[in-house]
Amino acid sequence: MDPEAARTARESLDLAFHMSNILDTGLDRHTLSVLIALCDLGLNPEALAAVVKELQSEPPPSPPLPTSSSQIP
Amino acid sequence: MEEEDQRKVTDLVIELVRRLLSQQNPQSPNPNSPHFSQSLRYALRILSSRLTPSVSPDADAIAESIKRRLATQGNSSDALTFADLYTKFASKNGPGSVNNKWAVLYLLKIISEDRKTARKGMDSSILLPNLRLNDDEIGNHVRVLNVKEDREKGWQNGVLLVSKDPENLREISFREFGNLVKEENEVTEEVLVRDVLYACQGIDGKYVKLDSNLDGYALSDLVKVPRATRIIVRKLCELGWLFRKVKGYISESMDCFPAEDVGTVGQAFCAALQDELSEYYKLLAVLEAQSTNPIPLVSGNASSGNYLSLRRLSVWFAEPMVKMRLMAVLVDKCKVLRGGAMAGAIHLHAQHGDPLVHDFMRRLLRRVCSPLFEMVRSWVLEGELEDIFAEFFIVGQPVKAESLWREGYRMHAGMLPSFISQSLAQRILRTGKSINFLRVCCDDRGWADAATEAAAAAGTTTRRGSLGYGETGALESLVMEAAKRIDKHLLDVIYKRYKFKEHCLAIKRYLLLGQGDFVQYLMDIVGPELSEPANAISSFKLAGLLESAIRSSNAQYDDPDILDRLRVKMMPHGTGDRGWDVFSLEYDARVPLDTVFTESVMTRYLRIFNFLWKLRRVEHALIGAWKTMKPNCITSHAFTKLQRTVKLQLLSTLRRCQVLWDEMNHFVTNLQYYIMFEVLEVSWSNFSNEMEVAKDLDDLLAAHEKYLHSIVEKSLLGERSQTLYKSLFVLFDLILQFRSHADRLYEGIHELQARTVESSLNSRDKTKSRRQTKDKSSEPGSWISEGRKALTQRASEFLQNMGQDLDALATEYKSLLEGFLAQLPVQQHIDLKFLLFRLDFTEFYTRQHPTL
Repeated sequence: MDPEAARTARESLDLAFHMSNILDTGLDRHTLSVLIALCDLGLNPEALAAVVKELQSEPPPSPPLPTSSSQIP
Repeated sequence: MEEEDQRKVTDLVIELVRRLLSQQNPQSPNPNSPHFSQSLRYALRILSSRLTPSVSPDADAIAESIKRRLATQGNSSDALTFADLYTKFASKNGPGSVNNKWAVLYLLKIISEDRKTARKGMDSSILLPNLRLNDDEIGNHVRVLNVKEDREKGWQNGVLLVSKDPENLREISFREFGNLVKEENEVTEEVLVRDVLYACQGIDGKYVKLDSNLDGYALSDLVKVPRATRIIVRKLCELGWLFRKVKGYISESMDCFPAEDVGTVGQAFCAALQDELSEYYKLLAVLEAQSTNPIPLVSGNASSGNYLSLRRLSVWFAEPMVKMRLMAVLVDKCKVLRGGAMAGAIHLHAQHGDPLVHDFMRRLLRRVCSPLFEMVRSWVLEGELEDIFAEFFIVGQPVKAESLWREGYRMHAGMLPSFISQSLAQRILRTGKSINFLRVCCDDRGWADAATEAAAAAGTTTRRGSLGYGETGALESLVMEAAKRIDKHLLDVIYKRYKFKEHCLAIKRYLLLGQGDFVQYLMDIVGPELSEPANAISSFKLAGLLESAIRSSNAQYDDPDILDRLRVKMMPHGTGDRGWDVFSLEYDARVPLDTVFTESVMTRYLRIFNFLWKLRRVEHALIGAWKTMKPNCITSHAFTKLQRTVKLQLLSTLRRCQVLWDEMNHFVTNLQYYIMFEVLEVSWSNFSNEMEVAKDLDDLLAAHEKYLHSIVEKSLLGERSQTLYKSLFVLFDLILQFRSHADRLYEGIHELQARTVESSLNSRDKTKSRRQTKDKSSEPGSWISEGRKALTQRASEFLQNMGQDLDALATEYKSLLEGFLAQLPVQQHIDLKFLLFRLDFTEFYTRQHPTL
């Protein structure tokens, strides 16, 4: 990537990070960058959000989870 | 590329899961722990289950909703910061930037919402069971059902209710609606739109035709369309109806033009309308071009209809509809009007508050009124009336030079447009009239300079087309400047070149008998001539006498031009008239002064002259009588020899004669004084003052009218003083009778005296020289006995007769005078109290007859 593009990318990430802080999403910079990359590749943002939510709130429901996940093929 | 992308995705997902898990767990997670792989599988499953977003990919809309949410939560500063950031974020384009911005925003939005609801204390265990129930195979439908259930249960499902409503409900209803619409409409909207566009140009389309019953364009009833469409088509076609009306008017006027029915103003109106219509055509052309293009949509995968629907058309037509309606109203109004009236009617419609209408009317009126303003300009600055179609509000008539001012031009109120006020129109009329007057009657060319000066002063030029509608202020100032200058020029010419004041003064001195010595000489010379019957007098002789009278008085030092114009005139007479009745003087006022001194004015002067001449004649007669009545010794000495009775008779007769003369003289003198000073001089001084301040010829004419009128009224020649006038003339006749009586009396006395002298001369020759004192006196000699008795008898007879006559005269005179004086105070309209005061200053008459 040329330095121009790198700069743009960095600035975009900064802005997105700032926005996500305002919205209080609890995402850190690295995770956000991954998510942005996934969105760019065309993944459904709703699905990504669901993933984030599920995995963020995992610890409490972790006991029942293994039983359910074991049913999953 | 697909492969690579897939691999990238997988890698990224792994990374994501790792990071998320590490957030939970402070220890670094083992990528190979079963927990990790579980989570990974779970994540992949979620990701694959939802592929299409349910919200339209509009980044701006999402940003808006985020902002709104922040603002409603009370974080307005955050909202502003967010807005700022978003604008910066959205402006980043090019390599290295985020392509799916909307996805990122949407993601952030959902995550924050989720966190909020999570923090609100909803147990995620409640959420998960829903998720658990979902199997890949069951798919979307089940989720929909579950959502419904949940709603019934009253839970707000944060995850699944991210979209406004589940996609499918919307899609299903859209599909059903589409089917319904297709069933109802036989005709597609595109075709209708095209038909409407044709109708708006006055052409019948395939389905929309001109319906003569309804007098408009409508869909025929055979075509099956929903009622709403029918109504909207009808409304849109109103434009077509209006268009047809306007176009019809324009083509009619164009056809009539060679027949000279349509004037310049009408043509200007048609031209302006055609300009507006060409704008309208442009709009229609653009719309037609647009009607075949589809709308470009952002996502590109939604199919839409044509750009132009009936509703969009109604929005586009809103403004042209207003304009077309205006034009149609004006066309209706102006079908029968022409010229200035048309401009006035259109102007009334321009009094409108809406700025669109106002501007439109202004443009229209500018063009419509330009011929009118042009006409005004040329009339005011050059005196030219170029009006082939009779549209101007000033009409000219061909008249002789002397009535050019009064009747040559007049105002035609019907053609006066309403934005030119009456007083302005009067001034315009007067200015043009003055120029024409100067040009025709005074042979003067100096007004052209005045006109250019005026134009320069008003800020415009004398070229064509420099004034327009809406500049009524400029027009007014131009007219005022022109009027001021040209009036001044005209008055200058009249006063200096044509010496108006001098002529007026000359008329006063000659026709109104102001030049006393001249009048006296004239009367002396002409008097004996005029006692002849009228047809025996030759006017040449009288002219010669007039000349000699002029030369013998101060009038000879007057301007020869003025003396030239003074002439003798013999009025048409019957057989019994004497010269006194037909004699008059005349003053010849040539062009241009005969505008002021017209025929009727001169007739009035003539009447006044006659009256004054009669008065002078009576005065002259009385003075003549005085000359014979001078007391001389004859009366006292001549008849001492007579018998006492005769002497007494003589004395009393003489005395009565004297008294009567005195009364008559008093009356005539005072009347003369009243007329000469209190009527003529006062009116003249008023007139002089008004002449000083007169600003234009109209003022001058009015002042002169007033002057003449006051003279006529005050010298009892007016309509209301008829009876007074008649009694005055009877008095005059009586006075003349008296004169002749007095003459006869004194003649008789002289004859008697001569006889007496003769008879006593023989006896008293010697004593004559001693007793001679006065030239006419003669001594009373001693009577010869025989002649004395006869003489005495004759004398007494004669004296008795004379005495009786005089008595009769006296009584008649007295009664007439009383009648005259009685009528004086009754006259309300003039100040005759001065006359009454003078005539009766000792209250002699009022005491005799208390009724006075």
